[in-house]
Amino acid sequence: MLFSGSGFAAATRATTHTVVIEGTQFTPGDLTVKRGDAVVWINKDPFPHTATASAAGFDSKNIAPGKSWKYRPRKAGVFPYSCTLHTTMKGTLHVE
Amino acid sequence: MKITTIAFASALFLVGGAAAQDTAPNDAQIASIVVTANQVDIDAGKLAKSKAADKEVKAFAQQMITDHTGVNKSATALVKKLKVKPEDNPTSASLKSGGEENVSKLKGLKGAAFDSAYVDHEVEYHQTVIDALDKTLIPNAKNDELKALLVKVRPAFVAHLEHAKQIQTKLGKKGS
Repeated sequence: MLFSGSGFAAATRATTHTVVIEGTQFTPGDLTVKRGDAVVWINKDPFPHTATASAAGFDSKNIAPGKSWKYRPRKAGVFPYSCTLHTTMKGTLHVE
Repeated sequence: MKITTIAFASALFLVGGAAAQDTAPNDAQIASIVVTANQVDIDAGKLAKSKAADKEVKAFAQQMITDHTGVNKSATALVKKLKVKPEDNPTSASLKSGGEENVSKLKGLKGAAFDSAYVDHEVEYHQTVIDALDKTLIPNAKNDELKALLVKVRPAFVAHLEHAKQIQTKLGKKGS
């Protein structure tokens, strides 16, 4: 149990990463983070977007203009995601 | 080609093009074209939201209302800040009348026929607006912030076009 988790190490060194949604695009489109880090998507467009993992994983639901959504990945892996409202928008979250 | 599209394209041609003197639209005219173009899609979307038979068409219509209202809010705020007053012109007028014509026609349809007509028009309309952005509006915008706004919203219209095409394909398969 003591060795099972990312808990201690991650908690002391967790980083917050920002993905900007603007011009109907995720920037950066490709992001690598560590388990326990925070990812914040901020919507700078004048209409709503989502950040929704293609397989099960995460779903921001609608992020209104000017609002943001924070997610803390717990599982390692590669997570392609897109905006369900504008499916031309794609990104990938790499969790280590 | 639909009447709306021909009218819009030729009105743009008049404003932007071949006639002897400098007829490229100025920023005030560009602002009017953009606001009108958004409003036309909002109006069609409101009708489709209430009338469409297919759930996905309804959802698309709602998204058109949401997105184009958002863009207009940004555009209006910007021109207010720049102290530019949108100036009606042949292009914005033809967009407006084309839009009214489309709505009239749609009002006379229902069920699958309504859905197809609405979506077909959305495909053509978004393509026409994207072309106008690329050929006339973005190249001629003089103010940097106005140009930046046009460039920033273009990909949303591309996403709308792709979405409309997907629905168009789906509706095409439904009947068969």
